[in-house]
Amino acid sequence: MGAVLQITDLSAGYGPLRVLHEINFTVDRGERLAIVGLNGHGKTTLFRAITHLVGWQRGSILFDGVEIGGQRSLGEGRRTPGIVRLGVAMTPQGDAIFPGLTVRQHLDCGAWSRRAWKERAKRREMIFELFPPLRKLENTTVGTLSGGERRMVSVGRALMTEARLYLIDEPSLGLAPVISQRVIAALREIDVQDGAIIIAEQNVSLLDGQVDRMIGMHAGRLRGDVGHVELG
Amino acid sequence: MDAALIVYALNLSAIYALMAIGISLLWSSIGMLNMAHGATFAVAGYGTLVIGNAVLPGIDSLFHGWAALGVIRLAVLLAAGVGVGALFGLVIYLLAFLPIHDKANFAVRGMIVTLAINLATVQTLLWWFGPRQQALPSVFGFGRLTLLGIPVRYDQAATIGATAVLLGVALAWLRYSRKGLEIRAMMQNPEGAALSGISVRRTALPVMAVTGAMAGAAAVLLSQTVYVSPGAGAMPLIKGMIIALLGGLGSVPGAAVAALLIGTLEAVTGVIPFLGQRMVLLVQFGFIILVLIVRPRGISGLLDETRK
Repeated sequence: MGAVLQITDLSAGYGPLRVLHEINFTVDRGERLAIVGLNGHGKTTLFRAITHLVGWQRGSILFDGVEIGGQRSLGEGRRTPGIVRLGVAMTPQGDAIFPGLTVRQHLDCGAWSRRAWKERAKRREMIFELFPPLRKLENTTVGTLSGGERRMVSVGRALMTEARLYLIDEPSLGLAPVISQRVIAALREIDVQDGAIIIAEQNVSLLDGQVDRMIGMHAGRLRGDVGHVELG
Repeated sequence: MDAALIVYALNLSAIYALMAIGISLLWSSIGMLNMAHGATFAVAGYGTLVIGNAVLPGIDSLFHGWAALGVIRLAVLLAAGVGVGALFGLVIYLLAFLPIHDKANFAVRGMIVTLAINLATVQTLLWWFGPRQQALPSVFGFGRLTLLGIPVRYDQAATIGATAVLLGVALAWLRYSRKGLEIRAMMQNPEGAALSGISVRRTALPVMAVTGAMAGAAAVLLSQTVYVSPGAGAMPLIKGMIIALLGGLGSVPGAAVAALLIGTLEAVTGVIPFLGQRMVLLVQFGFIILVLIVRPRGISGLLDETRK
């Protein structure tokens, strides 16, 4: 079996700027992990290094025993689709939405695998169960939606396929408290099965009781593995 | 404005739309200003010439005496042009996109490489076929038919009709197919597309082929009135490029509207006594510069409200 994700000595940054400093951590199967820390301490960079969207990186990233890391200073984003197709689903900061597509087309974009594409109607239904407000917005252009609705669409897109590792970056960023609680609650509903989910968040109180483990992040290094948190 | 002038304007607009939409689509989906679009035009013209001369005599004897012979001939020529254009799109993809698409400053590098392909191709055509202008096998001759009381030359009717069909098919493909969805996703947010497992390399290939095919179709349709020559692609490239700019680089509906505007402007300028044909370019560029001063993002700013 082994871990879903095993990261060894991962450093990453942009140009001359080094953001991550030799990070080591492991995520086990079925685990819900939160990485907490303030703005600008490397949570997003960590996620972007896992999906090869960062400027440069080095160090090993083992995903289900497959090496997806390595040393690289060019080709930002070149391997991203391949990594996604291995089973990594990421909701990036700022949502990376397609402003001119409708909610429905958007969700279809997330269904990249052959099986997910065949079952896309069923899976859309599942997303609408998870985020009821999206149901009546099905044919609305995403560019006209509010921040909270966009976040739901973005998370929904990541849930359309059978991923084994979900990376959710700042689910509460820029949202009203009520809405961010709903998004976090929906994340709680995700069935990770033999995969895992990692949430990056700065509002620790929101995560209370929603995750198995928390790791602090400070100045590009992991600090203080909180260990098991009692589930609510 | 009499009816014949409207037909002439539509005829020009159709050709321009085929070129401009191709350029616009390429820019917005894979971020490449394809300077070799003119080369695709010229290559498709010569490809059609060679294939047409080889195949058409056989077609003629096969369908001798059929009323639809003209249509069949046009279909054969169009298929040849579209096929050669798509193939040349593939060549550009292999030479100018695949090796450099993820290097820094791809937009500028891509422009330089495609410009080099353009020059090399024009020189190769000059060397192989010589500088002489050659006529494509004629399809209809210079007959006219009367539509709703308006006299229309056969080649004009064919150009307008074929363009409408081709653009309709291409836009429907973009709108309703899964590949089209992926292309539009990539146009609107490359990072979001990458995170949805959409690979630029795999999506760029059909876009290059389709835009090449559009240039090929434009070459065949325009060559019914203008001759095929090695440098024939330069003017369609320039016009296609400025129309794409006018429409708002990257917007397909914007490019279509701009093509209509510029086509009409060209037709109208040609018949105004003190301007005439030789002032067409001047008026066109003046108009485009004026529009871009007022609306730097081109016409598309008016059309779609939801952009980032």
